[in-house]
Amino acid sequence: MALDVRPAPGGARVAPPPQRRRWRTRLSRLDVSLSPYLYISPFYLLFLVFGLFPLGYTFWVSLNHWEIIGGHEYIGLQNYSRLLTDDQFWNAVGNTFGMFLLATVPQLLLALFLANALNRKMRAPTLFRMGVLLPLVTSIAAVAIVFTQIFGRDYGMANWFLHFFGVHKIDWQANKWSAWLAVATMVDWRWTGYNSLIFLAGMQAIPRSLYEAAAIDGATRIRQFWSVTVPLLRPTIIFVTIISTIGGLQLFTEPLMFNSGYMNGGSLRQSQTVMMYMYENAFQRFQYGYGSAVAWMLFLLILVFSLLNFLIIRRLSRGAT
Amino acid sequence: MRVIRHRGRIALAMMLSATLAAATACAGDDTKSDGGADQKITLNVDDFGTFGYQDLYKQYEAQHPNIKINERNVPKLDDYTPRLQQWIAAGAGAGDVVAIEEGIMVKFKSQPDKFVDLKKYGASSLQGNFIPWKWEGGMSPDGSKLIGLGTDVGSIGLCYRSDLFKKAGLPTDRDAVTKLWPTWDDFIATGKKFTGKVGGDTKFIDSPETYYNTILMQEAGKGSNQTYFDQSNKFVMESNPAVKAAWDETVKMSQAGLANGVQFLSDQWSQALKKDAFATAPCPAWMLGLIKEFGGSGQSGKWDVAGIPGGGGSWGGSWLAVPSQSKHPKEAADLAKFLTSPQGQIGAFKAANNLPSSPQALNDAAVKAFSNPYFNNAPVGKIYGPAATSLKPVYLGADNQEVRQAVEADIRAIAQGKLSPGSGWSKAVSDAKKASGTG
Amino acid sequence: MKAVIRRRTHRAVAGSARLWQASPLTYVVLIFGVVLSAFPLYWMFVVATRTNAVVGAVPPPFIAGQHLGANLRRLFDNEQAHFAKALVNSAIASAVVAFSTVFFSSLAGFAFAKLRFRGRNALLLLIVGTMMVPVQMGIIPLYMVMVHVHWTGKLQAVIVPFLVTGFGVFMMRQYAGQAVPDELIEAARVDGASTFRIFWSVVLPALRPAASVLALFTFMQTWNDFLWPRAVLNPDNPTVQVSLALLNSAYFNDYTLMFAGTVVATVPLAIVFVVFGRQIIGGIMDGAVKA
Repeated sequence: MALDVRPAPGGARVAPPPQRRRWRTRLSRLDVSLSPYLYISPFYLLFLVFGLFPLGYTFWVSLNHWEIIGGHEYIGLQNYSRLLTDDQFWNAVGNTFGMFLLATVPQLLLALFLANALNRKMRAPTLFRMGVLLPLVTSIAAVAIVFTQIFGRDYGMANWFLHFFGVHKIDWQANKWSAWLAVATMVDWRWTGYNSLIFLAGMQAIPRSLYEAAAIDGATRIRQFWSVTVPLLRPTIIFVTIISTIGGLQLFTEPLMFNSGYMNGGSLRQSQTVMMYMYENAFQRFQYGYGSAVAWMLFLLILVFSLLNFLIIRRLSRGAT
Repeated sequence: MRVIRHRGRIALAMMLSATLAAATACAGDDTKSDGGADQKITLNVDDFGTFGYQDLYKQYEAQHPNIKINERNVPKLDDYTPRLQQWIAAGAGAGDVVAIEEGIMVKFKSQPDKFVDLKKYGASSLQGNFIPWKWEGGMSPDGSKLIGLGTDVGSIGLCYRSDLFKKAGLPTDRDAVTKLWPTWDDFIATGKKFTGKVGGDTKFIDSPETYYNTILMQEAGKGSNQTYFDQSNKFVMESNPAVKAAWDETVKMSQAGLANGVQFLSDQWSQALKKDAFATAPCPAWMLGLIKEFGGSGQSGKWDVAGIPGGGGSWGGSWLAVPSQSKHPKEAADLAKFLTSPQGQIGAFKAANNLPSSPQALNDAAVKAFSNPYFNNAPVGKIYGPAATSLKPVYLGADNQEVRQAVEADIRAIAQGKLSPGSGWSKAVSDAKKASGTG
Repeated sequence: MKAVIRRRTHRAVAGSARLWQASPLTYVVLIFGVVLSAFPLYWMFVVATRTNAVVGAVPPPFIAGQHLGANLRRLFDNEQAHFAKALVNSAIASAVVAFSTVFFSSLAGFAFAKLRFRGRNALLLLIVGTMMVPVQMGIIPLYMVMVHVHWTGKLQAVIVPFLVTGFGVFMMRQYAGQAVPDELIEAARVDGASTFRIFWSVVLPALRPAASVLALFTFMQTWNDFLWPRAVLNPDNPTVQVSLALLNSAYFNDYTLMFAGTVVATVPLAIVFVVFGRQIIGGIMDGAVKA
């Protein structure tokens, strides 16, 4: 696949004087052997300094009692053992997974459904694709501001709308379920269209002949969707789910803004995520060591969960075939 | 060909967004030109809430043509202090003059080297300008350095909506209203009467946590002069009767259905204020400015100020300090001296009703005679002034702010009906321990 | 001519057989989806054009008012929000990060796809590995580093760590593999061109389609970044997102000011979206097939 890039011996051009030529050959050889490393080095350098080192150092900090003022003291795994019995931490873990599931499951189903609709011969397909992608143009902070107003307790649009159905004013921030639902709505609104385009790409790669064969066998459209489309989309579904997992477990901006910028996520920490708990410990209580332990636990959770996801989805979609 | 056009268009669009941003920026910036002047020093002032310094800045800039003052206000105290801590610890980012609220003062005083000793800049002679305990409060723990100059003190009144009181058939005159509630239990009884008559979306009190803090500071001032921590920063919340008393009284209010569960200084609080959704709020002097700011002109004249149940108390109040990271410590110290001088405190009182910590200012005829039109011409100078000199300071430990926030969250959860009053107290204690890093 | 080519590629992607015809129901579903996507944006705009009298209005306003200009003026005149500065900061940071990411990613992608060197496969695998690492996890020490080099509160703190990403390198490597013919490089080499010369005048032009998609996505991502800027920047030198958060926690009583801020923060991305909608869609769909 790669090309042999060594210069051809004895160029066909007019030869320069011998000494200059030797110098040039040497330079050119140096160019060929060093350039690749030179070109890839910026990434590694940057990742080393701003990615790997902080991550490793986070681990070291997490082994210390480390506050903003004064020195630090090595305490081994004490921060971690404290974390394991910290109900606020587990509450944050529960919230993160709760909101993640509440957001991701409907989101992926909706995106599949939407992609299926987009995968038709129609007028102005680009217009519709752009239409469902529209939420991407705005920033998360702006989304959070708008939706927080929509979910206001006393004068929000959601409660105004629900009162037509006889629903009494919901204090969205005060209940766990309603806070999760509000945050999940923000996430879904933003990402459903995006994911549906990814699914659409996957669907377009499925050969039509499979559907024709299924149709001859008498399978309905719905049946075709579940027994042809979904199984063949497996790689795409795995990809989207893992990306959603990595993003979803780091949920931060939406619940933070939803709680008027308070890191605790509500009076009973109804919607505090792990990321917010990390931030609260590190940048408000200034317990860097403990905050770093939270960061590492989250890192491990993301790894484990991505793997779990991968296995489950592979099993599930295989079962469907 | 298409490919090349793409790249051109992308570069074009990015340029366009960048220029657009820059253009709008310039359009917005042209109001404040700082070019041209020779060697102007810009002093950044970090503060929170409403300090009422705008006119004083103008006055100071007029007297000192080489100084430009840039106030960097963060409205919420709870947003402000973590940032300030971060800047002070990082050794960069803090303003030249910073406001330090009483709840965080102890923590900062434990790092005296992070601040300039104001005595070195001629502040020693100013002792007589301050109530003794306010002056003491600005000294480093060993008493060798002067870290902060006092701004205001937080003696407490009680704000009420006279129009809503009228609707409930309650007296509206401020002296008569004060007589309604010698104790907090009387206050709750009044609230029940009010709720029976008015009802609907209008609650009697605003946020439970404002009442909780008020009663806590009041109780602490009567007894041990401490809240969650004792003077050696030992956690004493469980054994301190003041905390329990404030907790129980606030829970009673929530159980009586008086509380609007909104969080103090949240958008729901300000909406509730505008939409007549609460009829009273505890009013340390600094609160008057906040109610005026967030209530807007629509509420003007509807509010009034009465006495607080259960006797006097103090909540809030700040100092001005100069971080040692400031590049202009002398100029900054001079500005801090000016802002906290009797005349500066009188100016801040007139602008935002922040109650002076200077006896001269408190005795000033203009302060004594000052009445606030927004609060139905309540004579706030007369209501707040006399109590100020007799106040006793309450010791707030180093982790006061974190603990306060944790307990406030539980208080609010009870008002929201999400936490049972029975198990609330032990949860609050354990949350408080966690917040202070001792749990 | 161009239209024909585009159609043909579209059909090739769409699969061998013909697509089903969309039914009226499909249109209804899609229109409903588009309306749901657009409504919050529309409503954001509506509130930004009203006065604060809309707070708590029942029913909520659904039609634009006439106060957009006044609200924008108040937004830019507000000395605490530093919104103008925030816009400039975000524009600079996003543009610099986008251009730099494209440049360094193309360079590395070219090296991985077309140059032969020792350890190439292992190093490439390492890059794929880094894509799985959520960099945000390291913000505590990253912050300590910034304190140490006195970059807290400064714009470079949100630029320098993100000048090139593993994702970008990987994407450009995939694209370079198929888009740059080996013969072209060989010919340039025979002509005595240096490696960088080859990159600059042969490879980079061929990478343009992928490079523009990468630039767009990086621009949008940087524009939207929040967690790190909030930690490291100060309120008086913010990015747009940090300034929005400040508005949200400070001017919650000034509803229309806040919404004017969200509108202004959205405009630059909306421009990008309108001009490049097609490429963005193509980029998202291409990325999916490859991953």
